Amino acid sequence: MTPDLTTLQPLRPTLYRLAADGRSLDFLFAQCPQCRQLSFPANAPGCMHCGHAIDASAQVARPGGGTLLEYVTLHVAMVPGLPTPSIAGDIRIAEQVVEEGVIGVADESLLAPGMALRAVAVPLPSGEHYGCHFVPADARGATT
Amino acid sequence: MSSGNWLAGNGGVYVVGIGLHPYQFPSDTPYTHLGLTAVRGALADAGLAWQQVQAAYVGTTSIGMAAGRVMLRHLGSTGLAVTQVENASASGSFAFRQACMEVAHGISDVVLAMGVDKHGDGRRAANKDGLERLSDTATIPAVKFALMARSYLREHGGGMESMAKVAVKNHGNAALNPYAQFRKPRTLEQVLASPKVAGDLTVQQCCPRGEGAAAVLLVSGQALARLGLDPARCVRVHASAASSERDETRYGDGPIDLVRDSARAALEQAGIGATELDLLELHDAFSVEELLYSEAVGVCQPGEGAAYLERGDSRIGGRCAINASGGLIGMGHPLGPTGIGQVAEIVRQIRGEAEGRQHPAARWGMAHMIGLGSVAIAHVLGGTARG
Repeated sequence: MTPDLTTLQPLRPTLYRLAADGRSLDFLFAQCPQCRQLSFPANAPGCMHCGHAIDASAQVARPGGGTLLEYVTLHVAMVPGLPTPSIAGDIRIAEQVVEEGVIGVADESLLAPGMALRAVAVPLPSGEHYGCHFVPADARGATT
Repeated sequence: MSSGNWLAGNGGVYVVGIGLHPYQFPSDTPYTHLGLTAVRGALADAGLAWQQVQAAYVGTTSIGMAAGRVMLRHLGSTGLAVTQVENASASGSFAFRQACMEVAHGISDVVLAMGVDKHGDGRRAANKDGLERLSDTATIPAVKFALMARSYLREHGGGMESMAKVAVKNHGNAALNPYAQFRKPRTLEQVLASPKVAGDLTVQQCCPRGEGAAAVLLVSGQALARLGLDPARCVRVHASAASSERDETRYGDGPIDLVRDSARAALEQAGIGATELDLLELHDAFSVEELLYSEAVGVCQPGEGAAYLERGDSRIGGRCAINASGGLIGMGHPLGPTGIGQVAEIVRQIRGEAEGRQHPAARWGMAHMIGLGSVAIAHVLGGTARG
C-alpha cells in the first residue's frame, strides 16, 4: 500500500515540498532580482550566476525534475546508512543549475544521458519524513 | 625565465633540501614524529642548521590548530615565524607558494615549507555552509570523479582498461619509491579485479588515505654562496600559479578548465612549453584524472591522454614521466604533505638522485595539485644553480 505522503515532512525542507498530486516534488529556487536566473537552493546567500544578494522574497517553486547528464552505481556506502548498490547522477534541474541526486531505478540499464527525470517523494524508514528520488519522467523502471 | 617574473626577486628561489617521512596507513605515530623526521631530513640534505631557518609554512588539514609551533619547538625555540596553511589536498602546495613569496620578496633568505598530516575525520567546510543538498554524497570526491570517469569513457570509448593502466603505471613507480605507501606492482588484471568503489573505478584506481610528512627548504639566490650550498643540488623554482574554479561552460569541464588555466599560467611564467616538461606530478587521486589532466596541462593533445599512456610516453624514460613518485594512487595522499612530496620528487629527479626510478636527463618539472576540485596550483621547477 502506498503511504499517504501528505502526513510526512520533507527531509530537506529548504529544497523541496510535496506537489499538488501528492507524489511529485516541487523544488524551491530563488529567482535573482538582478539577472532573473534561478539559484538552488533558495536560501543560498548569493545568486549563483551573478553574485547578487538574494533573500526569502525571491523564492519560487518549480516542478522538480530535469535532464540526466551522467550517472554511476555506488558500490560502497560512502556515507553512513547509504544503501548499496545505489545510483547517483548529475541532473540539470534548471538552466545552468546542476545538482547531484539519487536516481530511483533498479539498475543503470534503464538510464541514458539526456533522459528527462522527475523528482518524487519517497517515504523514509523513520516514518516521519520523505526524501527525494529522481525517476524517469515516463516512470518505467522506477523502484520508488 | 620570462622577464618580470616575481620569482626572480632576491636572486631567485631555490629548493636546497628535501626530506620525507614515508607515507603510511593510519597509525599511533604522533604527527610530531612524522613532521620532525621530514624536517630533520631536509636540514641534513641541505647541510643547514635549524637556527638558520627564518620562517616556516606548515600545510596540514586534519591535525588541528597551531600544529607547526607545537611540533617545531622540539627543534629549538628560535623565534622564527610559523604559519599554518590549509587548502584541502593542495595544503602543502600552498604552503610552498607562501614560502616562495617570502623568499622572492626578500622577507627571508631561508624558509621551510612542509606538510604533515594524520588521517582525519574528513570534515569539510562544504558540509557546514548551512545549505541542504539533494544527495548525501554530493560533496564526496569519489562520486564526482566516478561521474567524470564515466563521461570520459563515454566520450573517448577507451574502455575501463585505459583508466586502469594509469594505476598499473603508478603502482609500478611507487614500488620503486622508498617513501611510498604502496610498494607492490599491480597488474592490469589485479587493478580491474579489485573491488568496485563507484562507477567504473575500482579500489586500486583510488588513492589511499593515510599519514606522513614532507619538507623542503627554500633559499634565495642571494644567499646560496654565503651559506656554502652546493649549486648542483639547488633546484630553481621558475613559476607559481594559483586559481579557483569558474562557472563551467559545458557539463564536466569545470575541473579540466581549472587545471588547464593554472598550468598555462605557470608555463607562461616559466617561459616554457608544456612539451618541454620532463616530469609532471599531478593529482591522480582517481585514475581518470591523470588522463584528463595530462591533456589539460598540454603534455599531450586533447583526447590523447590514453594513447599517450599506452605508447609509454608517460612512463619513466618516456617523453614526460608522469607521477614518477607513484602519484597519489601509489605513493599516497596524506593531504598536507602531498604537494610538498611532489616538489621533493621533482627536485630529486632534477638532481639525478632518484635511484631506481631516475628519469633520464630530467631538467623541467611541474608539480600540479587541486584541492577538493575547486582550487588549483602549479609550480614549475627547472635546472640548478650551477646552470
